[in-house]
This record gives sequence, C-alpha cells and structure tokens, in this order.
Amino acid sequence: MEFEERTIKVIIDTDKCPNCLSKACIEACKVYSRGILQLNDGKPSVSHLSSEELGRRGTECLACEYECWQRGNNAIYIEIPIKGLDDYLRKRSLK
Amino acid sequence: MARLFEYQGKEFLKDVGIAIPTGGVASTAQEAYEIAAKIGKPVALKAQVWVGGRGKAGAIKFADTPEEAEKAASAILGMEIKGFPVRKVLVEEKLDIEKEYYVGVIPNASWDCRAPVIMFSTEGGMDIEEVPEDKIFRARVDYLKGFPFYDALDLASSAGIPSKLLREMAGVISSVVETFKRRDCNILEINPLVLTREGKVIAGDCRMGIDDSSTFRHPEMGIAIPREFPWEPTDFDMVGWGIEETDFRGSGFVMKMSLDETSPGFIGFHAIGGGAAMIGMDALSRVGLKPANFADTSGNPVASKVYRVAKVVLSQPNIEGYLLAGFLVANQEQWHHAHAIVKALREEIPKRTGFPCVLLLAGNKEEESLQILREGLKDMPGRIEIYGSERVEDSDFIGERMLALVKEYREEKGG
Repeated sequence: MEFEERTIKVIIDTDKCPNCLSKACIEACKVYSRGILQLNDGKPSVSHLSSEELGRRGTECLACEYECWQRGNNAIYIEIPIKGLDDYLRKRSLK
Repeated sequence: MARLFEYQGKEFLKDVGIAIPTGGVASTAQEAYEIAAKIGKPVALKAQVWVGGRGKAGAIKFADTPEEAEKAASAILGMEIKGFPVRKVLVEEKLDIEKEYYVGVIPNASWDCRAPVIMFSTEGGMDIEEVPEDKIFRARVDYLKGFPFYDALDLASSAGIPSKLLREMAGVISSVVETFKRRDCNILEINPLVLTREGKVIAGDCRMGIDDSSTFRHPEMGIAIPREFPWEPTDFDMVGWGIEETDFRGSGFVMKMSLDETSPGFIGFHAIGGGAAMIGMDALSRVGLKPANFADTSGNPVASKVYRVAKVVLSQPNIEGYLLAGFLVANQEQWHHAHAIVKALREEIPKRTGFPCVLLLAGNKEEESLQILREGLKDMPGRIEIYGSERVEDSDFIGERMLALVKEYREEKGG
C-alpha cells in the first residue's frame, strides 16, 4: 500500500502487518500527526481519506516509519525526494 | 536582499536613459580581448564580485590595447577577493574623468521618514560613509507620487551643481529614483557618477539590490535565489534553495559558507534558529573548526523538511563531522527534528563509519525527542553524542566534544 502526502510518499508492505503485535504506526500517527493511519483488518489503511484529504491532513512527521523500525516489522519506507540532490552528487562523482 | 552585479545594474540604468560606458562582460581572457577590440580605445577591466575594495585588491585594471586587456583579464579572472572568487570581468571604455559625484537611494525605516531617501553628493568615488555630512544632500521620496523633476533640480542645485549641468544631473537623479521604484530595489547607488572632460555624465559604477519578496516580478533579472549571497549561488546552494522554494512550512535554509573543499576542519552545520546558529558557529571557531555550510530549521518545520536539510548538509564531501546546533530552547516540538535526524543519519552514517555527530536538541518535548535520537541511533556505526538542555548554554563543551570526536575520526582514518 502506498499513498502520498504533500511532498512525500509513504510505502507500506502490508504483508508484514498481520503478525505485527504493536501496531505502533497507528498510535504514532495520532501522537505526532493527525491520525490519518487507521487500522483496517489488522493493517494500516488510509482508505477512509481521499488523496486530497491526505495531502491536506498529512503533516509529513515520519513517525510511522520510525515506530515501525523500532516496534513493528520494518514494513514502512518513506520516500522524500530532494530536488537536484542526485544531480549534485552525480556531478561530483559522489553517487 | 538579492544583489545584481555592476554590469547587470548598469543595463537597467541604461533603460531609463542614464549613460553607461560602452563595454561588455567577459568570462574568459579571450572574450575580454574581443570586447576591448570592439571598443577600440583604452579600457577599464573590473572584477564582478559583491565585495568592496576591488581597487585595493588589484581587481580593477586598465589596458590600452586588446592584448593588454587580455592579459589584465587573465590576471583578474580566478582571483579571490576577500575569499570570493572572480568569475566575470566587466570590460568597458576608460572614462576621462573631470569630476566624480555620488547618487543613491535607500529606504529609511525611521518613524519620521518611512520612505526611500535619495542622497546626492559632489564627493563621489569614495565610500559615502566617509563623506562629510555637510557634503551629502538628501530628500525624502514619496513612493506613490514619485520624485518630481523640480525636486531633483532643487537637490542638485542645493549641492552646488553649476547651472550648465543642472538639467542633466537632475535628469539622472530622477531616473535613479524611477529605477529604484520600477525594479523594486532595496538599494541603488551610482558611485562614482562621472562627469567626463567632454562634459558627459556617465554611471561609472552601479550597486543594485532587490527586495527579495519582489524578485518574482522580475524574471528579466535572472535572480536564481532571492537571498543575499556572497557569490553567485553554487550547485549546492541551488539544492538547498529547492527545499525552501515552494515549501513554506517553517524554515529550511541551507547555503555554502566556504568554497574551500580541500582544507581539513569543516563541519556540516545544522542550526535550529538564527541565535543558535551564531552560538554554534562560535563554538566551532573557538576550537579551530569551520562550518562548511549554514543551515537553519526553525519556525516549526515539518519533519520531511528537516530531513531534507540534514541530507543536503551531509552531502558535502569534505566534512569531518555533523553538528546539530540546537542552542537556546525552542518552542517548536522537537520530536519532528528527532525523527528527521534519525532517518537522515541512519541513511548516511553507514556510508562513513565512525563519522562524528554532536546532536544538541532542547526545547518543547525535549525528553521524548532525546529518547527518539538515542533509540533510533543506538546501533549506528558513528561517533554520536546526544545532549539536551543541560548543555544548551555550554557552547564551549559542545565545541570541544566536536573537536575531540573529529580528532578520533582523523586518527582512525590515518590522517
């Protein structure tokens, strides 16, 4: 499952979620953001929100990814593009 | 305040009818030769940099022939003036100077003025700050109504301009005010405004700064980043600007502090707020370290923005450490910083084992934030030290810890 906030993409490998005992991402989303992640069939879901609402309500707090590393099953990855950084690194042979 | 180079500003003066010397800008000695050949008479070559003291630094030279111009340009290009590299040189006809004047407009924000002020002096060619007060003539400009020609005549007349020159000088004064308004300037100076022996009035130099918030109205100026930069923005600066350009959720400012990428002692510098930045830079300089960049994430930026800033700071190839300088106590919830820094360092530290990081984070939600940092970075193969408000006023300690970790890192690398 994946969804976009204003400038980031949250990618969740929900196959790893059913046997996650903590569901820490859901709680983290309430504490650090606006609770856009909700539990649905034992998995995090944003199906109750339109893409517009996700863009508006998501605060890009990165907390779900962190909590999933620490207390979950390492199922979440957040892509945060940085305009021009890849080109900069490539030009300087750092990538 | 975004700045324009002399050669750019002069073009805008020309648009309103102010005479400028014939010439052009060169990036190579060969181009300088060609411009000088086209002018066909003695030329002046002037380094295009945003610092004063070009003459004393030997960055203004004169040449009688295109060959001499080529040689002079070769000497100027690549020169560093007060640490700023010269990449362009203005080649223009050498003026036969009879007398030098000064004309400039700056905003005066004091309560009894609150308007642009035009200043005129018969003592041009030197810093206006060095000109005696009684030689500077000022007038308040009504921004909406403009500066009528008769007021310009009055100003020039007060300064003792001879009657045969009065109309021409007043015309220049009016045009300077017009340019200041039309181009949304924060400063516009012509110093010197030259009266030649042939009786022509010509802008010998031009200093133009633009209000940052207005640059979107001026695509013709080609301003890449509407901020005050010491040099033309580098690729690194452009990446930093990409974070801020369309994302207004708090500050996420990054820029280069030094173009030197070979000397040791540079630290990736990430401050939280302007005051913290000053304290952090002092902390580094007191122990002989240097900030490779300036960065500020304050005003409650979202974690994604803080992450971007940290990643860009850490992308610098020559840094020997990373300092999160959260001096002073911030009101913003610091756990967003904590999540962002953990993500950035978890990606970057494994690429440079043993890399020194001193993380100082204090303020709202401090305890939780420090716990996130400690937990999130506990298995990272770096030299990571984490401090909170107990060290927020102890910049000496933070600087010393950074230095100690850098020394260990150097030794480990065999340097």
